[in-house]
Amino acid sequence: MEREKSEQENKLKHHRVLAAKALEADLKKRSVQLEHDITILRTKNEAELTMFKTKCQQDIKDYKQYLTALDHLKSSIQSSYTHLPEAVAFTIHHHAKHLLNQLWDAKEVDQKMHHEMQLINFMTTVHEESRRYLEGTSSNPLPEKTLNLIQSKPLNSE
Amino acid sequence: MLIKIALLLVFSAFALFLSVDLVLWLAIPRLANILTQLGLALLMAAFGLLLTAGLFIMTKLTLTAFLDYISAKQRLERRLLFIDAKQEQLKSLFYFKTVQITYFSDLKRKRLLQANNKKHLQSLSKAIHNDLRTLKKHLPKAHYQQLQQIYHQSLKEHNIEALLKLQSEIATLI
Repeated sequence: MEREKSEQENKLKHHRVLAAKALEADLKKRSVQLEHDITILRTKNEAELTMFKTKCQQDIKDYKQYLTALDHLKSSIQSSYTHLPEAVAFTIHHHAKHLLNQLWDAKEVDQKMHHEMQLINFMTTVHEESRRYLEGTSSNPLPEKTLNLIQSKPLNSE
Repeated sequence: MLIKIALLLVFSAFALFLSVDLVLWLAIPRLANILTQLGLALLMAAFGLLLTAGLFIMTKLTLTAFLDYISAKQRLERRLLFIDAKQEQLKSLFYFKTVQITYFSDLKRKRLLQANNKKHLQSLSKAIHNDLRTLKKHLPKAHYQQLQQIYHQSLKEHNIEALLKLQSEIATLI
């Protein structure tokens, strides 16, 4: 009886040791896996941050280029329509800048696309009218189409 | 086991103290003295044993806890917790770095816009100033002063919309 009890105790002890070793092995495996995951996460984060940084820098560069393009747009209007009141040229430029800021502040891709189209459309109209006026194919002393676009979308409409 | 022995000693000591009363009633003072001494010795032994048992149990528990703490299982569990915390830290760091990059990018863009606005504001104010100078002789003094006031106020507030409105108004007067 005593011997049987001792045998059972030994068996139990042996099982306990085996279970502890299995648990230890499992924990070790999980630890290695997690460390591997961390390395992957770190690399992924670094790559994503670099990409995001580059994207932001590119955005700033694009914005700067857009501002320069708008400045050229204003100069183009002023040089084409020499008699045009200063206020009109300023208004056109100001409206284009407003469209640009709307494009930059938009959060959704759809909205961004919409505002980009609006801005491109506006700039194309201005350049087209200036070109036609300079070439003499348009006798209108004012950039009517551009002004109509401004009137259809006043600054505080959106 | 040790506690049991200690309790037994305490009860024995009390039994001896009770027997001292009995011995005194039987008028054997010498034996009463010996029994009192014996009882006190047993009581002291019991307290000593209790103290030793306490110290022994405490040492044993401390040692077990220490061995448990440095055991492979607990070490690995702590390592897992550490890695888990590190992962969370990396995630937070990524989020805050993104926020930081966005903030500085926005700031840079706003500065570009402000610089551009300033440039055009100066150009616009110059045009308005020249137009107002031209109009000075043709406008009633009160009206001219009112336009000047609006001009200065708008310029002070960097209000491009108000300046554009003013210029449009001036353009109709020229």
